[in-house]
Amino acid sequence: MKEPVLEIRHLTMQFGGVVAVNDLNMHIDEGEIVALIGPNGAGKTTAFNCVTSVYEPTNGAVIFRGMPIARNHPSGRMRKFYAGKEIDAFSGHVVHNTPDKITELGIARTFQNIRLFKGMTAFENVLTAMHLRRRSNVFTQMLHLNGQEEAAMRKETDRLLEIVGLTDVKDEMATSLPYGKQRLLEIARALATKPALLLLDEPAAGMNPQETEELSAFIRRIKEQFSLTVLVIEHHMNLVMDISDRIYVIDFGKLIAEGTPEEIQQNPAVIEAYLGGDVD
Amino acid sequence: MQKQGKKSISGATWVSLCLIVLVYVLVFIAEQVLPPTSMLFTVLKKGATYALIAVSMNLLNGFTGIFSLGQAGFMLIGAYVYAVFTIPLSQRMSVYQYYDGGIVQFTLPIFVAMILAGLVAAFFAFLIGLPVLRLKSDYLAIATLGFAEIVRAVFQWDKLGPLTNGSNMLRMFPNFNNFNLTDAEGHVTVYLSTLIPFLISGVCIALIVLLIHSGYGRALQAIRDDEIAAEAMGINLFHHKELSFCISSFFAGVGGAMLAMYQTTVQAKSFTSAMTYEILLIVVIGGIGSVTGSVISSFLFVACSEWWLRFLDEKQMIGTFEVPLLRNGFRLVVFSVVIMIVVLFFRRGIMGTKELPDLFRKRKGART
Ligand SMILES: Nc1ncnc2c1ncn2[C@@H]1O[C@H](COP(=O)(O)OP(=O)(O)OP(=O)(O)O)[C@@H](O)[C@H]1O
Ligand SMILES: [Mg+2]
Repeated sequence: MKEPVLEIRHLTMQFGGVVAVNDLNMHIDEGEIVALIGPNGAGKTTAFNCVTSVYEPTNGAVIFRGMPIARNHPSGRMRKFYAGKEIDAFSGHVVHNTPDKITELGIARTFQNIRLFKGMTAFENVLTAMHLRRRSNVFTQMLHLNGQEEAAMRKETDRLLEIVGLTDVKDEMATSLPYGKQRLLEIARALATKPALLLLDEPAAGMNPQETEELSAFIRRIKEQFSLTVLVIEHHMNLVMDISDRIYVIDFGKLIAEGTPEEIQQNPAVIEAYLGGDVD
Repeated sequence: MQKQGKKSISGATWVSLCLIVLVYVLVFIAEQVLPPTSMLFTVLKKGATYALIAVSMNLLNGFTGIFSLGQAGFMLIGAYVYAVFTIPLSQRMSVYQYYDGGIVQFTLPIFVAMILAGLVAAFFAFLIGLPVLRLKSDYLAIATLGFAEIVRAVFQWDKLGPLTNGSNMLRMFPNFNNFNLTDAEGHVTVYLSTLIPFLISGVCIALIVLLIHSGYGRALQAIRDDEIAAEAMGINLFHHKELSFCISSFFAGVGGAMLAMYQTTVQAKSFTSAMTYEILLIVVIGGIGSVTGSVISSFLFVACSEWWLRFLDEKQMIGTFEVPLLRNGFRLVVFSVVIMIVVLFFRRGIMGTKELPDLFRKRKGART
């Protein structure tokens, strides 16, 4: 059997007394689109931040293509306050990375609260994200002797902007674009890092209904075009049910259900968590 | 619509380049026709020196978004390295009179010494950056401020006298006047003592501008705009901050060497934190994030402090009436008020984040 692209094992993230993610187990196989859903404050973004090493998990491990990219166990003072499970399962060596290393390995992400480079145009935002794939050093760049590489990257940037449909606004300041376009620009920027796994944190937030409608086809298209595996956090249930191969549901940091969209829609625990709500 | 994907030098850039060449030509001509003692040249020489140092500081504060207050320290290191390695052998006995001529018994060519000045400054920056930039770059301001004070004290320490001449000044090293061409009898034939510092400073600033417009420059600006996003795009914060800090300090060191040449003597005790604040003010007045602004404001600042406001320090008589207030020190008062007005009412500085070519372009909206 093929190993999963991403595997999350007993992941727990505790901030002081708050257990934001509690013993989360997930796996994502090559080429899948998986959704992570849950009510506000459920710990979805925190899980993303643990995968991308923005946070060092309190306990558990994250494995990317068979390689541990984060692994930790409660130690020191945290051992006393630890409120999660499996306290001794991950003792032994600790793996800690910085977010840039994770991106280099092939995991790219977008942000729930859009984080574009505000002093730059749309074009420059995408071009800057290619920086990590450069081969030229600071001196050849300072003397602008890397013309070929630079030209190739500018061409690639143009291509990415065309794919997300932002060619006509590429010279505008990124932050002056409407929300929906800023979200697309964030995706283009993430693609520029040449990822294998793409993490999208609420890509439809702030989009108008038409843009949201187009988003599922768009995500599927880029998945095929760039041979991606996608993990998406989203509140728009229509979108989630439409694009996901599988869905994980968390509430108060804990996994309460997993399965196909059909299974999730029937799941009583999920309906409960959403207060008999808008799962339709 | 202008195509930005292809990089080509735009009309506005050509106009700017021509303008810069014109300035150099004017400086050259002025130097040949005006008396060399003219105040203009003092201002131009010091202005060129400060321009380089201000731009180097702007690279860090304005383009990388990390705050250092160690400029005076790196300038001091640059000035000393330059001076120590260029004092002619025949003069060392008199300069290092209390230390038997010192321990350095060779000299380096001027330009080699200047580059060495930058490298040593960059090396110290590298060492400071190792612990400070790895964790919280917020502490860099305090760490560098402390570093500058420590360097100032250490360089005056008499145990280091054989190298630094202790608290005595270093002198007799080649200065800007050595760039003048002379005939066999020692008469100056071509004056270059202002043009050469302009060229040195110009080349260094051009390198910084090229860096800013390269991939690395964009990575630095990404860090300034949003550290978390920059990191998520694969930009290693520590490496890039350290790089920017070292490059900035390299040019501050070269600037220090130029200041030594301008002053013709060097003494550690004059490199106070007040000097750093002067540079910081220049950067703020010029516009944080504008190289052009830093350059223009350097010359304005130096002209005001050295020349245009000098009269305020002297007694002035109108007929038999003695103008009140004008006495030693009043210049500084007026100067402070001017600066306060600028900081309060022109917060974005003279240029904001605009550069020279932007002035010749149609307004921003027209670009899209
Ligand atoms: N850095 C932090 N320090 C302390 N508490 C935190 C931190 N980050 C998140 N939390 C807490 O963890 C919990 C989960 O937050 P998280 O942002 O992961 O939720 P979410 O599922 O993404 O919610 P939303 O749908 O609103 O985006 C919240 O209670 C939040 O207050
Ligand atoms: Mg969230």
